[in-house]
Amino acid sequence: MTDYRYDNRTVQGFILSAIFWGVVGIVVGLLISIQMWAPGANFAPYLTFGRLRPVHTNGLAFGLGVGSIFGLSYWIVMRLCKRPLLFPKLARVQLWLFNAGIALAALSLMAGHTQSLEYAELEWPLDVAIVVLWVMFAVNVFGTIVKRNEEQMYVSLWYIIATVIAVAVLYLVNNLAVPASLTKSYHLFAGVNSANVQWWYGHNAVGFVFTTPILAMFYYFLPKATGLPIFSHRLSIVAFWSLVFAYMWTGAHHLVYTPLPDWLQTLGIVFTVFLIAPSWGSVVNGFYTVGQDWSKMRSSYLTKFFVLGITFYGLQTVQGPTQALRVVSQLIHYTDWVPGHVHMGTMGWVTMTVCASVYYVIPKIYGTEIFSEKIANVHFWLVLVGQLLFSITMWITGIRQGWMWKATDAEGKLVYRNFIDTIAGNYPYWHTRTLAGIVFTVGMLFFVYNVLMTIRKGRALERSEAPAAPAAVTVA
Amino acid sequence: MSGKIYSKPVTFAVMATVAVLVGTAVTMAYPLVRPEMHVKVEGLKPLPALELAGRDVYQREGCVSCHTQTVRPLKSEVVRYLGSRAQEPTARYSLAGEFAYDHPFLWGSKRTGPDLAFEGWIKPSADWQRAHLENPQKLVAKSNMPAYAFLSGEKVDAPAVAASMRALRRVGVPYTDADVTAAGADVAGKTNMDALVAYVLSLGKAVNRGAPGGVDVDLAAANPLGAAVAAVARGKQLWDANGCAACHGDEAHGQDGVAPNLVDEEFLGQKGDLPDAAYFAMIKGGSEVKPALGRPGVADGGMQAFGSDLKDEDIWAIVSFLRNQKGHEATESKAEEAKEHHEAAERRAKDRK
Ligand code: HEC
Ligand code: HEC
Ligand code: HEM
Repeated sequence: MTDYRYDNRTVQGFILSAIFWGVVGIVVGLLISIQMWAPGANFAPYLTFGRLRPVHTNGLAFGLGVGSIFGLSYWIVMRLCKRPLLFPKLARVQLWLFNAGIALAALSLMAGHTQSLEYAELEWPLDVAIVVLWVMFAVNVFGTIVKRNEEQMYVSLWYIIATVIAVAVLYLVNNLAVPASLTKSYHLFAGVNSANVQWWYGHNAVGFVFTTPILAMFYYFLPKATGLPIFSHRLSIVAFWSLVFAYMWTGAHHLVYTPLPDWLQTLGIVFTVFLIAPSWGSVVNGFYTVGQDWSKMRSSYLTKFFVLGITFYGLQTVQGPTQALRVVSQLIHYTDWVPGHVHMGTMGWVTMTVCASVYYVIPKIYGTEIFSEKIANVHFWLVLVGQLLFSITMWITGIRQGWMWKATDAEGKLVYRNFIDTIAGNYPYWHTRTLAGIVFTVGMLFFVYNVLMTIRKGRALERSEAPAAPAAVTVA
Repeated sequence: MSGKIYSKPVTFAVMATVAVLVGTAVTMAYPLVRPEMHVKVEGLKPLPALELAGRDVYQREGCVSCHTQTVRPLKSEVVRYLGSRAQEPTARYSLAGEFAYDHPFLWGSKRTGPDLAFEGWIKPSADWQRAHLENPQKLVAKSNMPAYAFLSGEKVDAPAVAASMRALRRVGVPYTDADVTAAGADVAGKTNMDALVAYVLSLGKAVNRGAPGGVDVDLAAANPLGAAVAAVARGKQLWDANGCAACHGDEAHGQDGVAPNLVDEEFLGQKGDLPDAAYFAMIKGGSEVKPALGRPGVADGGMQAFGSDLKDEDIWAIVSFLRNQKGHEATESKAEEAKEHHEAAERRAKDRK
């Protein structure tokens, strides 16, 4: 146990950092959701919607997402390799660099330094920092796996390895740019190529940040939390290889009906539809795993987080391929439907699974139990209600507005010629979205409180178990 | 998959790499060498210095968070963004060849506001664009677009524009040495607002999307709808539905520096009214018909042509509405005058006492 102490603290550091940036990102999310219906809430120049939207997305994808991926992947790697990290100090340096990087990222985005590429907005000096971070992560993950004390690599390790490789390829290529100054650069690719490379990256950022590492958590923590083994190893194998193979083909579904050549659009659509299969491989595996004993839903409070998480993942991966179809895309693309879809994944699947994993890990670090299961349950229900309210309102208003854009009369004239007439009806839904965000945020604050109190409890326990050490030294 | 690779991390990593690289090679790398990915519309030119500076502002402010820049080849979309006016059928939607110098592309992914790919044709008035950016809600009450008035107080950073040109030249945009040298002078004294407006007005202009031919102006034509109450009501409806109010105001009183008053004594900048047919021609053909009407109007024009959106009958209905509005004003001002006369007379009567 003591062998792991230092590394466990690093893991906890990543988790706490991820939570911190998560809260920042969510608060910014609330602010931009208010700006959508109250333009007076824009505070020029730094706090306008245009500059803050990327702060929200990057803060959550890189701060909450990548931060928890670093921490929880290290936890998983150590347990599955039966050894501490190969380079513990390096991981600690990585933790500090990560926090400095995210802080600078948020500030630079507010200052308007951006490449205007979604999820790759950061300018080149920060890109360099992110590449360094990723290399540190890769070195520790691969080093520890190579020196492992367990013959077989479990599924979660496969997903972590694929994540490390795919993100490296994606990030390096899409961020190729020529600098004009320290804060401004121009994408190496132009027009249709710029678009194609960006969405090859953009969709796979979703695939390899919001899917594969989260699946690694799911495959590891679900059996741990429930005590039930994964239903089918063979299904895991098939789902893994088909997922990592198919994902990279699908980016063009973001560019349906744009000037991108038709053959590329069609290829992207076909592979996107196919993607249902590997995604549902994991969904089925998850359900059948819990299906071995449904009473776990009652007896183990974490089970419902994982079941809900994988359910949202399942819905998301049916919705996604449907959206890629040309007939559907022409109606919902560019509307509020898309944030509805995105947040089912981010708030439902990602946040649900990450929170459950954190609930599992934090008490284990101190050899104790969670501070309060009751609070965890309140957190669960609030987050669920907030998420559903968010997505459902955005789906409705997305279809509503998409239909108004298309509506023509018998002579082919537009029924809603004035664009603003199609926006006016969004306001009630945008109000409701902010309400949903508040409910979700309150839920997340319960989570944060629960985690902090568990750590406090754990620290007190440590102090009482280390009788020789004077209190002052322990605090330092 | 044989079970062995799951205990051999290096082999496993190599296989995973191959798995992700197949799709990458076909859908990302191979297109980079395809000719259809490197097309250019005829006569495409890199953005001049001021517009380039404007594009940088557009990026900096994250306009791409709310605005797309690609008109899809869908019927309703082509009509909405006035692509339907273009003579060439292929010019009615966005073309790959228009974006050959766009580093990066700015097509966006969310239309909280309208698409801007053809904005240079849709709202060609610099005054309108400036007034709108300064305070969107003043022109479009229900808009949720942020106000960008602060841009008027920022000077364009001239050395940065030259540096941008040099960087863009390195990625293949054909800026000449002369372009780079002249950049400083081209943007001298200009604000970021000037730059952004210039950029927005350049959108979609690489391809001719103007209305086919001109509009035949027949000043003798009479309004077939006359002053019929139904026509006036329908005209008011069309006035609201087609966004005339965004420029001319709800009651057609005009807005300073944006669009003229349509119910005062002046028409196109000169005293004296013109017949209904002149109103009809301006609405149908926009500022381009001014020579046929023989009046100067606003120097840089800015009235868009509605001929491809509105049937002739609809345009006449709007004219009926404007005439009615004008009549109203006249009566009101007469009543006002009479009242003033009356009051003055009373005052005089009092004074005398
Ligand atoms: C919060 C979202 C949002 C942001 C950010 C935003 N806009 Fe808008 N924009 C809108 C909406 C909504 C409209 C339609 C209502 C209106 O005309 O104000 C609009 C309208 C426009 C129009 C008029 C289009 C037309 O043909 O009627 C232009 C031009 C425009 N925006 C340019 C910009 C520029 C340039 C920026 C960045 C400096 C920007 N917008 C930032 C939401 C936004
Ligand atoms: C983008 C802003 C804009 C919109 C929208 C717009 N106009 Fe105009 N309009 C102008 C400007 C600017 C002028 C002055 C043009 C000139 O002098 O070249 C003008 C001129 C006119 C004139 C000539 C009268 C005069 O006194 O100069 C008429 C009539 C007119 N507009 C009617 C309409 C109608 C009807 C609509 C809606 C169907 C409309 N406009 C929409 C900007 C606009
Ligand atoms: C309080 C909770 C949240 C609120 C109120 C909120 C609000 C918003 C808003 C208003 C947008 C912009 C939508 C638009 O442009 O129309 C957005 C986009 C986005 N958010 Fe959130 N959000 C929340 C939580 C999250 C979480 C937890 C994540 C990820 C872990 C996330 C990831 C994203 C992403 C990726 C986008 C971009 C979507 C796209 O490109 O279409 N959000 N959010």
